[in-house]
Amino acid sequence: MWVQIFLNAFSLGSFYALVAMGFALIFGVTHAFNLAHGELVLLGGYLAYWLTRSFQVPFYWTLPFCMLALALGALLLHLLVRKVREPFELNSLVLTFGVALILQNGMLSLFSADYRLVPAAGGPVKLPGFAAYLSPAQAWLLALSLGATAALYLLLKRTFFGKALRATIQNREAAELAGVPIRRMRLAAFVIGGSLVGLAGPLFGQMAYLHPAGGMEATLVAIVVTIFAGIGQIRGILLGGWILGLAETLAVYWGGASWRELVSGVLLILFLLWRPEGVLAPKRRAVP
Amino acid sequence: MALRGRSVIPVFGLVFLFVLAASVRGDEGAPVRIGEINPLTGKLATHGGEIHEGILYAVEECNEGGGLRGRPVELVSRDDQSRPEVAIHQAEDLLYREKVVALVGGYVDSLVGPVSVLARKHEVPYVASASLQRALTRQAPNPFFFRVAHLDGIVVPLCRFVSRALSPRRVAVLFAATPGAAEMAGEVREALEKDGVEIVLFEKFRPGSPDFTPFLMKLKESGAEVLISGGFFPDHLILVRQLRDLRIPLKAYIGPWGVAYPGFVKETGPAAEHLFGMCAWGPGIHMPGTDEASRRFVRRFRERFGKEPTTTTMHGYTSARAVLEAAKGVLEEGRDLAGEALRDKLAALDILLPMERLAFDSRGDPLHYEQVVVQIQDGEIQAVFPPERAAGEVVYPMEGAATAP
Repeated sequence: MWVQIFLNAFSLGSFYALVAMGFALIFGVTHAFNLAHGELVLLGGYLAYWLTRSFQVPFYWTLPFCMLALALGALLLHLLVRKVREPFELNSLVLTFGVALILQNGMLSLFSADYRLVPAAGGPVKLPGFAAYLSPAQAWLLALSLGATAALYLLLKRTFFGKALRATIQNREAAELAGVPIRRMRLAAFVIGGSLVGLAGPLFGQMAYLHPAGGMEATLVAIVVTIFAGIGQIRGILLGGWILGLAETLAVYWGGASWRELVSGVLLILFLLWRPEGVLAPKRRAVP
Repeated sequence: MALRGRSVIPVFGLVFLFVLAASVRGDEGAPVRIGEINPLTGKLATHGGEIHEGILYAVEECNEGGGLRGRPVELVSRDDQSRPEVAIHQAEDLLYREKVVALVGGYVDSLVGPVSVLARKHEVPYVASASLQRALTRQAPNPFFFRVAHLDGIVVPLCRFVSRALSPRRVAVLFAATPGAAEMAGEVREALEKDGVEIVLFEKFRPGSPDFTPFLMKLKESGAEVLISGGFFPDHLILVRQLRDLRIPLKAYIGPWGVAYPGFVKETGPAAEHLFGMCAWGPGIHMPGTDEASRRFVRRFRERFGKEPTTTTMHGYTSARAVLEAAKGVLEEGRDLAGEALRDKLAALDILLPMERLAFDSRGDPLHYEQVVVQIQDGEIQAVFPPERAAGEVVYPMEGAATAP
């Protein structure tokens, strides 16, 4: 029983992390508060749905296609966002809210208001030696969240380009003075973030459901997990997602389904008070 | 050239007579304006759109038949965006600016409730298409509010089905945290406990939750044989998939709302097999004596909209038919379409429609609304209870409760 509960909790946490990863990267590098994030995730889900239902494309092939398509979509969003003037954070919020509304209505026209579900790729597998099952969606979530975290971590820590991105996240002015091309870093953040959104979309359509008005849920998940993780803390996103997934699962198991949101809310407030820099970020020392 | 004082009077007189004549002639041939408010965008757009199509079909059908005593019917549609504050704003617009004679439509009590209050204030009748909460008709009398569905029409046949046809010892109830769902769940628990059924789990959840697995683990531990899931269409999509993935050994899954839809069967695929749902109407599931009317509705709806009508569509159609019949009655008596006259006609209405024999009690609730229990069998929605309306046998326990989807 407990193996199954933990498996479910970590799958849920991986789902949260995967949904948040693209948002966290774009926000970290550009400070653009992308309220259209959830709609982009949904767009990825609808693309996967269209490919699997209309062309019987296997689920795993929808992933690279959606990554490419959403990277292009994020590029277009970047072209809009870079026109935004100061105060950038506030104006980017308003602009992306407008984009979210346009995307919602576009999806409503293209895919109707019907609820859609990306078909499952096969049946669940029984874990040898345990009375627990692993569904294909759970397997994909665990593998892709770990894979994406590792890839992004290596990119940021082991490459010169990654170091430039990190420098931009930490202090844009200082990075610019040191010769980091900030504009190109922003562009790169949107493209990489968009491809991560494209990775999350098909799994969102399989784990949850697709509806043109459902984007706000994904945006909220992304914001909460980014706060847990801290800006620019890629490993923290996965850890933050897992903590949230585990807390919610145990709260529902012990308390009841109505405890889910309460526990998430309390946890969020505690983290903001205890570790405002993020779950894995080193604590700043007070200046003597 | 300026008009002199004397010549101005006859000009005003002529203008007055012209306006009077135009208004008299205008009333005779002027369209009857009916206001409709539904969630056409936002979270409830799926079912709001279905209700809208049912209402639109009823109005078009009426106009094709010559309208109401020769007067065409004009439907003024408004989108409440699935938000109560927008519903109020749109209703005010329909009442103040568009000057509609009646209101129709509405999905879920949180959107219907505020509109019903406005209808009372303006003394304009409102026939709600999908509303269940008892408080709307029982808390304060509202003579201008009517609805074509009510909670008893779901709870009574559901509990009768569980107690008589399934006879389980242990039942779990999961319900969405909405007023209607909570009310239904409470009444189901009370009724089943009276019948000696043990309710081993009774939990609410926020609609739109992406994960039911902790609840399902508890369900497995509880030994419940039957799960009554008072969620909505999208909740069932997730819950059923996770139920099958985790191989929960359940004998029956009942989703009173959201399962009995062709769209649900299509999206869920084989995992939908043998699930129970409820509906008031469906293609092939209609009131005795309305076979031809129901078949004609299905055929012509398909031609008009290119898709299958659902039980929600029929709720929209039924509510619009109530308004149209009442308006026709008022005009036949040579009276104006005033709010009170329409209200009186609605209160006295008694017509047989494919979904129900429609007549209202003194509170505006339908007297004869009763849903049937359906089961997904070979990908088709089959009526299985009550026996007099059943088209197939109940499959219980459901096959594949502990096997792959």
